[in-house]
Amino acid sequence: MAGSSSGELERNIGFLEAMTLGGGTMIGAGIFILPGIAAEGAGPASSVSFLIAGGVAFLAALSLSELATGMPIAGGSYHYVNRALGGLFGSIVGWGMWTGLMFASAFYMIGFGQYLVAPIPFLDGRVFVVVLGLIGLALIVGINYYGTEESSKLQNLMIGAEALVVLVYVAVGLFFIDPANLEPFAPFGPGGIIATTGVVFVSFLGFEIIATVAGEVKDPSRNIPLTMLLSVALVTVLYALVMLVTTGVVPFTELRDSLVPVSDVAVVFMGSVGVVAIVAAAAIAAISSSNSSILAAARVNFAMGRDALMSDRLNVTHDRFGTPHRAIVVTGAVTALLIGAGLRIQAIVALLAEVASFSFLLSYSLVHVSLVVFRRANPDEYDPSFRIPDPLYPAVPVLGVLLTALVISQMAPVIILLGLGLVALGAGWYVVYARDHAIDTGLFEDAFPRIPLGGRTTGTPDVYRVVVAVANPDTQRDLIRLAAASAHAHADEGTPELVAVNVLQVAEDTSRQNVAAERLEHQHDLLEAAREVATEMDVSLRTRAVTGERVDETIVDVLVEEGPDQAFVGWRGTPPEDGSLFSPRLDAVVAEAPCELSVVTFHDDGIGRPVALAGPDPHSPVAARRAVDFATVDGTTPTLVNVQRPGDDESAAVARGEAVVSAVADRAGLDPSVYDVEILVGEDVETAILETVTDYDTVCVGLSEQSETSRLMFGTIAERISREAAGNVVIVRGSYDESGRPERAVQRVVTGETT
Amino acid sequence: MPLTGDSTILVPVDVSGPDLPESGILDHLRPVDVVVLGYYMVPKQTAPAHLKADHETEAAARVDEIVAGIDATDHEVEGVLVFTKDRQDSIDRVADQHDCDAVLVPGETSGIERILVPLRGDVNLDRIVSLVADLERTSDASITLFHSVTEGADPSQGEFILRGAVDRLAEEGISRDRLHWELSESGDPQGEIAALAGEHDLVILGETEPSLRDRIIGTVLSPILDSIDAPAIVVRDTT
Repeated sequence: MAGSSSGELERNIGFLEAMTLGGGTMIGAGIFILPGIAAEGAGPASSVSFLIAGGVAFLAALSLSELATGMPIAGGSYHYVNRALGGLFGSIVGWGMWTGLMFASAFYMIGFGQYLVAPIPFLDGRVFVVVLGLIGLALIVGINYYGTEESSKLQNLMIGAEALVVLVYVAVGLFFIDPANLEPFAPFGPGGIIATTGVVFVSFLGFEIIATVAGEVKDPSRNIPLTMLLSVALVTVLYALVMLVTTGVVPFTELRDSLVPVSDVAVVFMGSVGVVAIVAAAAIAAISSSNSSILAAARVNFAMGRDALMSDRLNVTHDRFGTPHRAIVVTGAVTALLIGAGLRIQAIVALLAEVASFSFLLSYSLVHVSLVVFRRANPDEYDPSFRIPDPLYPAVPVLGVLLTALVISQMAPVIILLGLGLVALGAGWYVVYARDHAIDTGLFEDAFPRIPLGGRTTGTPDVYRVVVAVANPDTQRDLIRLAAASAHAHADEGTPELVAVNVLQVAEDTSRQNVAAERLEHQHDLLEAAREVATEMDVSLRTRAVTGERVDETIVDVLVEEGPDQAFVGWRGTPPEDGSLFSPRLDAVVAEAPCELSVVTFHDDGIGRPVALAGPDPHSPVAARRAVDFATVDGTTPTLVNVQRPGDDESAAVARGEAVVSAVADRAGLDPSVYDVEILVGEDVETAILETVTDYDTVCVGLSEQSETSRLMFGTIAERISREAAGNVVIVRGSYDESGRPERAVQRVVTGETT
Repeated sequence: MPLTGDSTILVPVDVSGPDLPESGILDHLRPVDVVVLGYYMVPKQTAPAHLKADHETEAAARVDEIVAGIDATDHEVEGVLVFTKDRQDSIDRVADQHDCDAVLVPGETSGIERILVPLRGDVNLDRIVSLVADLERTSDASITLFHSVTEGADPSQGEFILRGAVDRLAEEGISRDRLHWELSESGDPQGEIAALAGEHDLVILGETEPSLRDRIIGTVLSPILDSIDAPAIVVRDTT
């Protein structure tokens, strides 16, 4: 098997990089720009606002941690909501995050302008603030357009220096707090504190970035929860202290008019050196936060494109630089417009911050809902290594939703209106553009199944289940079609259900490789390939993309779990030279599948006229039954073939053959009207069979159980047919729990070979 | 006694461009198993899965082409394609996952006739010697084993290491007239190896502290690898 057919995805972001990404974004512009506005809204109690915002962020980080370790791939909140609640909410959150990041980015860059303008007297004025903000933005967009390497030491150094400045500010500032300034502590009451929470929440966006790049984080089950929760906790404490120092050193009534509050406070106890340090730190903070926002925006766009909720044209990567340059430029352009709005709108900083907060608060409340949906629906691919511990679930998501609702309810009407406008944009986009090709339908109905009306309370109705293992969804549609036909043909035994399974082979340790993204891709391909067939054949469909170290063993596990009536696997047709029976990927399935099994080799497109070899071997009746099933695909009549040596009397030979066929048909429960009979008479049985079966499109042959050696495992006839037949070959094995003898035979052979 | 051994060498190749590695050195790897690691560099701005979606087909075709180009007689040549932001991460991971004994660092070469094997006399010695044996048993290149005596150390210790290595290679089936050894007491191993490498077509050397990551092509270029133009095979220290 060529290992290169599928590209592996490396996880490159380690613990430290994730911390600088999350922490670096958070200890960002927010804390330098917002204290003035916060003090204006809540007085000294604004540190409490930061604590509440931190609490809301921490709850979101808890839910996101569980979801992100369950599905560690690019996209963050958007991806989880889209999977759990379907395309409409996916689109709302995707657009909400994208626009939220634009607003946040514009907010950072205005702050950047304010801090640079403040110390230079002659540069005063809004125009300069906006122009500097635009220059900074152009710089960021330019760098990101051309692309940069993952971790630059310079960047880490700058974020480290910036964090150090903030720490020194807090540590020194604590000694200069005048308790008198903190009285009255909450001049605007609880309402003011909550309203301020809505403004300052924007400073916590950084931890979301970690979830957005979850596909690239090494050892995600450890690093994602650790870095998200740790960075939120640390930053919350830091922010509250900064706020305490700021309002404690300078009375909040003086602070409220300041555009550069931290700098204005630092000058009191650190002099001009402090001011220079703070200005430098604020500038770095703004640039790094804005930069991360643009990265995150590109990831959200990519994730939306992956789910067909966003145009591929936006997500084209640059030929030479490999960057998603269009998404970056569009994000930058809208951000520039928002910065430009600062010329007109007096309170632009608060406005931008609050709208960004609104978008993310809404996203997080939907993330909480998604967590509950995932827990209840519990789909295959959801196996989080970090779970919110029991006493905290469902308290965390419930509290999270209530708190976000509370914070949003205290926002200014104009903000709520703008925010709802963005929601409408996402919903409108879904209706106009995305509805027709959205892939995910959500898990809501799985999570909260409707109670059937009419009191049908007796056990679940019988299901006739067929599992088909698909290695390549694109080339194996015929295999899916055969399996669906078989399920459909047994509709009288139970509601036909098709389960399409794809196994992604992974190494033992996948903590450094992004397997989850590949798995999602396979799941999408599988669904796409099988959906059409299932509709056409009128069977219900489920798809499962699973991972395992060994393909055959994983398929067996799935079969044991599903307990199907039949299973289908594809086989390329020639026995391998490595001593395995069919191939290393199939042997365990053939030996252990706890149901009827068809091993299918395709040489031809389409199913056409099937033929089955009816003989004395134990699996012949099942092979005959399959031929009848397959005939329904193209509406043909199947033929049962038997070969007899001429002996003394040819007509006696034909009679013998007919007797064998009708015995086989009888055992298979087939009515004589549904099949044709062909009896061959010839000295060389094999040649006669081979010559005859070439007239048919699909040959069904029972697995031989008689031979002792692995080479002859499925009998010389079956082997020669699979080698030489021009049509499709299906090697059929009955269910072992019906007849004891085949089971012993196969186990003896297989254990002799594979252990 | 097998004519060839069971060592595995990792060959990292950048598959984002059309340039394929020179075939001269790849031909020389014929006696051992080879894992071709095609890596596609992803900028920070892009999710690796994003570039994979856009370029997987062409990149996989390039890996397949390289794999097919290595004329494998009875040895396995495997291709792995990785989308990564850090080449060293991928080299380390894939080398671990596929149990590779050594990693090829490409360089300029016309034909491989003279091979330099610097030995430090540490734990890695066994691994280096057995790789050299596996690789050169069927070639007719001359092999120079080299050791530089650290200042103040006893030169006889170095001679002991070199003679021991020669004996072992001879036991492994490499004719003694192809084996040479050179002991230096100049105290400047790096400079000497660099100078000697200029006269050789391939250098096989052991990975030294701190890790493969910093040794090959990483941010801290090994002064040795930096100063030689010939291809090198770095034997991993997996103990």
